[in-house]
Amino acid sequence: MKNCDSTRESLGAWLDGELDRAESEAVRAHLEGCAACKEEQRQLEKLQVALKSVLDSEASRIAFPPFWSSVQQRITEKSAWREDLVDWLRSVFSGPRIAWAIPAVILLLLGVLSGDSLVSGFRSFGQRNNFASVESIDAYGRNVALLREDETKTTVIWLYQNQEGEDESTTETRPSF
Amino acid sequence: MELSDWELVQKCQSGEMSAFEDLVSRYYQKVYMVILGLLRNRDDAMEVAQETFFRAYRKIKSFQGGSSFYTWLYRIAVNIAIDTQRRQKRNPLDFRETMDEVLEEQNEVAKDPFSDRLVQAINDLTPEHKAVIVLRTLEGLSYKDIGEILGCSEGTVMSRLHYARKKLQSKLGGFL
Repeated sequence: MKNCDSTRESLGAWLDGELDRAESEAVRAHLEGCAACKEEQRQLEKLQVALKSVLDSEASRIAFPPFWSSVQQRITEKSAWREDLVDWLRSVFSGPRIAWAIPAVILLLLGVLSGDSLVSGFRSFGQRNNFASVESIDAYGRNVALLREDETKTTVIWLYQNQEGEDESTTETRPSF
Repeated sequence: MELSDWELVQKCQSGEMSAFEDLVSRYYQKVYMVILGLLRNRDDAMEVAQETFFRAYRKIKSFQGGSSFYTWLYRIAVNIAIDTQRRQKRNPLDFRETMDEVLEEQNEVAKDPFSDRLVQAINDLTPEHKAVIVLRTLEGLSYKDIGEILGCSEGTVMSRLHYARKKLQSKLGGFL
């Protein structure tokens, strides 16, 4: 036998016809003997009717002819756009016009490949000329390291401090800013 | 005799535009209401509803009848509505007429305090709860179908409906 809490949990689903037979029978049996849950059922039924009325009322405000006309327009416009594209592609890649397309594609590929090798050439050239200098200044236990790179005119400054007890040979330079 | 959804779909697949028109007339209001529930804006809902039918038209040849037509259609609608909602979240400064205003406007005509309170209560629901209420109330869809459309389990649908109804009941208080 169901109690009030579990009946109310299942009441909406029971009204929606979504409970299995045994569960449904248990809810029905409880409702027969419980005025409070019967009242809950009445409220839910009233709520359902009111909801349908409000939502139906809003839905009925939308007229079909303008809605359908807009859908049709989308179908026509977007279909026309796609058809135009297909026609254009067909005209470009069919018949005598294809004759210029093949050398054009070959030239494009050559251009891309030579461009890539040029870029990598520039990169390696840059590395060969990437002169940099590191200077270290030790003053009162504080260290300053300067890195100057001529190629890009970049200067990086590290300010760090030696840790007590650390072997100098294992000391890592730690940026402190 | 009225043709079934599947018969109309088959006619569409063989190129009969009038069959598609029949399908649109059958579902446009419900699709619009589900979307309005999610987006809360009449213009956006109209735009998404029209886009839903346009995409349905484009995809209809791939529809094999594995699920019911309306489940398939609502799934398209919900997906577009969710995408639109994400875009709107990125542009929160856009002025948008909310569903509150839409339904309040409708309510001013009705001048019914119960409906007024109900509209406010509906608008206080989250989009997830509103979607299940609209799908269940307008279309009478099964929990399984609602779950398929929203991409969640039947248990989740049941729980959302329970929570949504409890919310509405508590907001409506003495009106029920």
